[in-house]
Amino acid sequence: MSEAGFGFEERELRTSPELAERAALLASRGLTIPEGEGLVLGLYQSERLVATGALVRNVLQGIAVDAGFEGEGAAAAIVSSLIKRAIERNIEQLFLFTTNEEAPRFESLGFSLIAGVPRGAALLEWGSEGIARYLDELRGVARGKPRRAGAVVVNCNPFTRGHRTLIEYAAAHSPWLYVLVVEEDRSLFPFEVRLRLIREGTADLPNVTVIAGGPYIISSATFPTYFIRPDREEAARKAVRMHAALDLVTFRTRIAQALGVARRFVGTEPFCDTTSVYNATMKAVLPATEAPETDAWGLEPGIPPIEVVEIPRFEIDGEAVSASKVRDLIREGRFSEVERLVPPTTWAWLSGPEATSVLEKIRHSDSRH
Amino acid sequence: MKAQKSVTAGSLESSDVLITITPLAEARVEYVIDSIVIKQFGARIRQVTEEMAIASNISAARIHVQDRGALECTLRARLETALERSAAC
Repeated sequence: MSEAGFGFEERELRTSPELAERAALLASRGLTIPEGEGLVLGLYQSERLVATGALVRNVLQGIAVDAGFEGEGAAAAIVSSLIKRAIERNIEQLFLFTTNEEAPRFESLGFSLIAGVPRGAALLEWGSEGIARYLDELRGVARGKPRRAGAVVVNCNPFTRGHRTLIEYAAAHSPWLYVLVVEEDRSLFPFEVRLRLIREGTADLPNVTVIAGGPYIISSATFPTYFIRPDREEAARKAVRMHAALDLVTFRTRIAQALGVARRFVGTEPFCDTTSVYNATMKAVLPATEAPETDAWGLEPGIPPIEVVEIPRFEIDGEAVSASKVRDLIREGRFSEVERLVPPTTWAWLSGPEATSVLEKIRHSDSRH
Repeated sequence: MKAQKSVTAGSLESSDVLITITPLAEARVEYVIDSIVIKQFGARIRQVTEEMAIASNISAARIHVQDRGALECTLRARLETALERSAAC
């Protein structure tokens, strides 16, 4: 227990009664409990919880102040404490997702807005290695390469023939192609491996550059949903739409501009609801050039549009070739059936010694990722 | 003395200042000054920060000052704490 500021006592919340009080405070502000293990802090005044916030890896979540204590510095106190704890753990860059309407509160506490969607979600960051540096790196990569390039955003968990088909098609239809790899490491195949298999599997394509996506490609694994009101069955779709809109606005306003990207290629997924909602949002956000569409997404007029090209999923014997299919086969012990679904470079790695520990993890997992 | 680890001092509460010192790979000192009164006091905050950093002999560090309207004595106190914490091994 320690003094966080005038009149507030700071505590780490761990016990059931403490967390229950926290859940009640969150609920009173229209928030649900953030997922993920992390540090949860609470500020008390006279034994009453007046503010809370959590640090989950490098993302600040679930920051809420009791309605009766607004304007008394509690938000600043809790955010300071979370930042200090993060610094103690050598986490020098912090992120925060919130509603677009709440973003200015955090901007006044030193967070920079990466992107925000009106009536939707916003992404902010704090700390040393910010977006300016990342975009400079991208501009460096794009220097000397053709403008009006294509882009593909992939996870590749692992790199399959389905991915190869998409990238091959995109490269054949673009003066240059950037393959952006989702970096969030919640996937069973570690990021470094995924990146390597993509590079090896596309090494023969002369106009392709494979780039780490950085923290600004927002994977669905990272996007928190605790600030989205769960109203009945619509909640899941709403979460996907909010995530998609934020990710796509960030892509269009920041990443695509730095790379000179004019087209984005994506595979259709007729049986995956999440992907079809995501792709539908993509077709609404990326090519929009006029009001009222641009206003709805918070886009400045004059920002270059991005064409969306959807290509059919690569199939073998009528079945889509997907990374999740590959992981399922590994989990079921049908390893030999994987070979025809992946390029030789991926198969060589899977059959090699480095893959052993990853394959073990997959066999024992029940994770979707 | 090279900055060994990341440290903080102060807070983001009104009239306070949050100092964050993080190690840098290069042997230089980088200053990042944010203030709610940057126009009126930005230059003075930077001057005080540089003065105290130089006096402490710190190197290979990024010193981030987030001022929330602190008095100069508060800024100096927070800087002194952060610089001392940074030097402690």
